[in-house]
Amino acid sequence: MHRIILALTLLLTLSACASRQALFTVLPNPDGSAGAVTVDDGQKSVVLDKPYAASEIVKGSAQPVAMDDAQVQQIFGSALAARPILPSHFRLYFNNDTDVMTPDSERLYKSVFDDIKQRPVYEVEVVGHTDTTGELKHNQELSLTRAGSIREKLIHDGLDPKSISIAGRGPLDLRVKTGDNVPEQLNRRVEITVR
Amino acid sequence: MHWIARAWIAAIAIVFVSAPCAGAQGPKIAQVKKTSGQVTIVREGGNVAAKVGDFLYEKDVIQTGADGAIGITFTDNTVMSTGPNSEVSLEEYRFDSSNFNGAMLTDMRKGTLTMVSGDIARSTPGAMKVKTPTAILGVRGTRFAVQVEGER
Repeated sequence: MHRIILALTLLLTLSACASRQALFTVLPNPDGSAGAVTVDDGQKSVVLDKPYAASEIVKGSAQPVAMDDAQVQQIFGSALAARPILPSHFRLYFNNDTDVMTPDSERLYKSVFDDIKQRPVYEVEVVGHTDTTGELKHNQELSLTRAGSIREKLIHDGLDPKSISIAGRGPLDLRVKTGDNVPEQLNRRVEITVR
Repeated sequence: MHWIARAWIAAIAIVFVSAPCAGAQGPKIAQVKKTSGQVTIVREGGNVAAKVGDFLYEKDVIQTGADGAIGITFTDNTVMSTGPNSEVSLEEYRFDSSNFNGAMLTDMRKGTLTMVSGDIARSTPGAMKVKTPTAILGVRGTRFAVQVEGER
């Protein structure tokens, strides 16, 4: 009898030890691709770089484990349901040396409001940029003027001033790399992030 | 009392009342975008029930009840959500929006967590990590999930 109890105790202890302490899994992007993460258990580091590539920690050691969408929904369904709407990005372009938007960008500007309507709360970041023509100091001021004019427009069109932040980067963050003094429409822009 | 003395006392009182709150919290690092059920933010100076629109700060600890879940978005556009019976500490967070450099360490103590990484992970490889009691996750990007079993 003692031996049976001992064996049962041992079995229970073993199975308790063998249970999962942690689980890590890569989730697919909407286009089916996947990013990558590393899992380091203190002894080794494993790379997970495919959709549903997963690793579990058992007795402190990382080992591969099969994962699929159904299991992810079962384990992470509540967390995934609580995921906020992802941030959106809008790129508005300007006529040379002005804070006047191109006609296409005027239309894109309006879609910012459709995006915001879907969000229970929102924050808006407005960052101005220039191309490399003209003096650096002038361009830094121009980029801030562009961001400021969009901020004013957003407020005029109903956004809460407290939710908007602005910055000007001049020609320091070019979308298209060019040499100095090169006019480039794609660099004369304001980038709006809504989150 | 002379009115100047009264004004001085009022001014000093304002400084003393407002300074500790502003000083202790540091910059806003994230905003609560979604909640359901019981969700508590544990921070120095008192716990609060999480509400949509609240701002979060470095060292804040998120605790969810058996029916709780929360979704937050960080200033670097990282999106994080947590399911029921979870405890997650926003242990370290630095982000410079002018050059996208930063670092982020999330301490996942128990429960479930999903993330979509943002500008920190994209600009600085190795700068975004999730610590658990048994292993450390390094984030190259972008979507992943972590579960930590609680005490049995």
